[in-house]
Amino acid sequence: MGQLILENLSKSYGQNHVLQDITLSVKEGEFVSIVGPSGSGKSTIFQLIGGLYTPDSGTISLDGSVLNNSRGHISYMPQSPALFPWRSVLQNVELSAEIAGTKQDRTKTLELIKSAGLTGYEDAYPNELSGGMKQRVSFIRSLNAPQSIICLDEPFSALDEFTRLEMQQWLLSIWETYKKSILFITHDIDEALFLSDRIIVLSDKPAIVKKEITVPFDRPRSEELLMSDPFLILKRKIYNLLRG
Amino acid sequence: MKSSITKGWRPLLVLILLLVIWEGAARLFDIPAWLLPLPTQIAAEAFTGYSLYTPHIMSTITLSATGYLVGITVGIVVAILLFRIPFLQQAFYPLLILSQNIPVIVLAPLLVIWFGFGMLPKVIVIVLVCFFPVTIAALDGFRQTDRDMLYYLKMIGASNRQIFWKLQWPHSLPSLFSGLKIAATYSVMGAVISEWLGANKGIGVYMTLASSSFKTDRVFVAILLIMILSLTYFGIILAVEKIALRWRSQGGKVSDGSTHS
Ligand SMILES: Nc1ncnc2c1ncn2[C@@H]1O[C@H](COP(=O)(O)OP(=O)(O)OP(=O)(O)O)[C@@H](O)[C@H]1O
Ligand SMILES: [Mg+2]
Repeated sequence: MGQLILENLSKSYGQNHVLQDITLSVKEGEFVSIVGPSGSGKSTIFQLIGGLYTPDSGTISLDGSVLNNSRGHISYMPQSPALFPWRSVLQNVELSAEIAGTKQDRTKTLELIKSAGLTGYEDAYPNELSGGMKQRVSFIRSLNAPQSIICLDEPFSALDEFTRLEMQQWLLSIWETYKKSILFITHDIDEALFLSDRIIVLSDKPAIVKKEITVPFDRPRSEELLMSDPFLILKRKIYNLLRG
Repeated sequence: MKSSITKGWRPLLVLILLLVIWEGAARLFDIPAWLLPLPTQIAAEAFTGYSLYTPHIMSTITLSATGYLVGITVGIVVAILLFRIPFLQQAFYPLLILSQNIPVIVLAPLLVIWFGFGMLPKVIVIVLVCFFPVTIAALDGFRQTDRDMLYYLKMIGASNRQIFWKLQWPHSLPSLFSGLKIAATYSVMGAVISEWLGANKGIGVYMTLASSSFKTDRVFVAILLIMILSLTYFGIILAVEKIALRWRSQGGKVSDGSTHS
């Protein structure tokens, strides 16, 4: 469960041609990142997968069934935490399952909260949390949903550098236990390399898939990887691809 | 709670000061009591004549509370309908605004002609003054939902119904409560106005009787009663709001910069 395939997706907003023949896939339990210039249409891809808009052409399928323009098949984590201020941490985490209409599993929810290091904060409201804590709640909220694939749209871009690195390591450790498929948008090459199995590099608008890069590093990955030579070589390669 | 007590002395001081000036000036210029009674005379009347007005208070409370509860229910239901059904909004929103340009005081005699002197026309008057601020406040709250939260809900496939009950409704509560507080004070005013039109009990009746016999001190007692009643309603809504919007005060206990204790 959790195999997502996009085939020849194109999308324009009026005269604004955003996506051109995008083909990509996420295998079961795989971590795939999309990098691309700002405004190239990365978020648009998510809006199509989420069913907010219909692609002009092409198909989106999950585990074999086509889901063009139908909603509720994916879990999602936005850039801003978008926590509901009138809900406690626990209630926020439960929201995704509530919307999906699945039964709440309180033990699982509490376990997720524990894995986010937020034990003791179950009844706290979002305005009592730091930025990093909010993002962790936002992520375990997306994990708590029954859907097998999670789409993350630049989830850490608003955090400071140290918190971001901490969050990336935390994300990897928790993802390794829950093994959901992940499609991850970022404009940070380091982040993409450190986290993913594969990286999809998009061109400027109209976006095409410029290159697909398999990331060869073993898991679990540690911080030292960021300074290793193979890492920096790959980083330079992606950087040059993005430069054009 | 502590802060409201420690801060409360300032308005209280101003109030006492005003009363003292009133008392002093009225004595100094020897103003007749039928024109402007002294605060002490009003207080004396409030104490000695309480058997004259106590039967009226209960009647006004019943009337205004009934009107208020019906009014806010109508207000909330109208807001939800207008918001959820765009066609209704286009058709009725202008009418709603227009309806508020008719002063209640001219509408009230019509209501008496149509519905007689019973409870019904009076409740309708209160409903008419109460529902509008509630509807407008609720609609404002529904419309100003956070875009990020809305986008999140849409991305994970929430239905319009879920979006309403999980986002737009709770998000509108702070705004709705300000409408409810305004309506609470309006309801007392509406009740008194409707009692003027013809009733055998109520603060409005007590007031009419007092003013027609130039018992000006009693008119002031009536005003005092109306103020106390309005404030009580306001306080009740404030207390309910505190409970319903607990999440707002939680962790938000930031110092207000005041250095007084
Ligand atoms: N709902 C919409 N209606 C019209 N145009 C849109 C809409 N959403 C996005 N666009 C346009 O599509 C293009 C791609 O936007 P998108 O948000 O997908 O970019 P992005 O790659 O996510 O950028 P960033 O890295 O800055 O988040 C932009 O030119 C934008 O103006
Ligand atoms: Mg984007």
